[in-house]
Amino acid sequence: MAEHGDQAMPLAGGQSLIPLLAMRLVRPGHIVDLSRVGELQQVSVAEGRVSIGAMARQRDIEHDPRMPGLVRVAVPHIGHFQIRNRGTVGGSLSHMDPAAEWPAIALALDAVMVAASVRGRRDITADAFMIGPQMTSLEPEELLVEVVLPMRTEGFGFAEVTRRGLGDFALAGAACQDKAVVVFGVGLRPQRLRVVEDFLNRGGGTRAEISAVAASEIQATDAIHTSSHYRRVVAAALVGAVIEESQARGGVA
Amino acid sequence: MTVNGSRWSGDVPARQTLCDFLRDELELTGTHVGCEQGACGACTILGDGEAVRSCLMLAVQADGMELTTIEGMGEPGNLSTLQAAFLRHRAFQCGFCTPGFLASAAEILGSGRRYSRRELRDMLSGNVCRCTGYEPIVEAVFECQR
Repeated sequence: MAEHGDQAMPLAGGQSLIPLLAMRLVRPGHIVDLSRVGELQQVSVAEGRVSIGAMARQRDIEHDPRMPGLVRVAVPHIGHFQIRNRGTVGGSLSHMDPAAEWPAIALALDAVMVAASVRGRRDITADAFMIGPQMTSLEPEELLVEVVLPMRTEGFGFAEVTRRGLGDFALAGAACQDKAVVVFGVGLRPQRLRVVEDFLNRGGGTRAEISAVAASEIQATDAIHTSSHYRRVVAAALVGAVIEESQARGGVA
Repeated sequence: MTVNGSRWSGDVPARQTLCDFLRDELELTGTHVGCEQGACGACTILGDGEAVRSCLMLAVQADGMELTTIEGMGEPGNLSTLQAAFLRHRAFQCGFCTPGFLASAAEILGSGRRYSRRELRDMLSGNVCRCTGYEPIVEAVFECQR
């Protein structure tokens, strides 16, 4: 990757990149297959943090009891199980589909993304990592190698609305960890709802009041199947729902 | 790699997908190619016992893997239990989606867990059938759990 720069694309599980290649939406000069880099598949837990190697498969994460609660409830929504058999955590984050679950999880948990290149390693906050659709702050020669999450087993909530149940892309979704609130699938990238978070920090309100605050803050765009109005209304309702869910799970919101 | 119990080794074009390799090189045309973007499930096969989309893998990525396609699951006169259940329940009409459904169902049944019809319906939603309306497919898989 150092040699070929933006002409080289890393291939993780291939569940997003191979369709892009098939549709000729990307035409890289070189593809670097990461499937045999064993150290990228490692998962470790230490000092209240979970460290997930970029090539850990969704399937393995889904069945790993060491994962934070938000990860456990959100990962089963990623594609169908056949996709989770091949798809990876790092691949999903690097692909940065605005409707994908992992960017929302990372933003809600204040994840640290570890990028590496021949020049060394650097930490990137989840917020700085995600720029827009298929756009991250990774440099062309850099690779996402690891995601570090805080170990939280309560105070989380997750919900999404799709056209056809599990496995489909989210038309709108929401995730929260305590007072960190995220909507995804509604705009160009997942959005932290800082106004809603301030509202919760000042004591919050009823579910309807929380949803009303969310509706005024969410930045939604139009999409093929949904208008921006629909996405804002649905996402705002989901925000109310996930905060209620997190409180039922012992959250401090 | 091993395909349906037989070892295969050789060179493949780096750009060739696994489904094209199976069909064009090994002439295993029972693996059907529908959408070529991972959505329809028709090309699903077993890779090391797990259901995977053969259109979303390059053939080179299957290096060292053990693959099972529909040709390795049973044959006329000697159907697998699952295939026999599909036949009994009329769980296919045109048959285009059937090899993919059988691969997905093989992993589900291989887990040894007993799922409700509702859970099976969710788990089988990664395969699309345009003929049957899914009821007989869910019934066939449900019956094989007993």
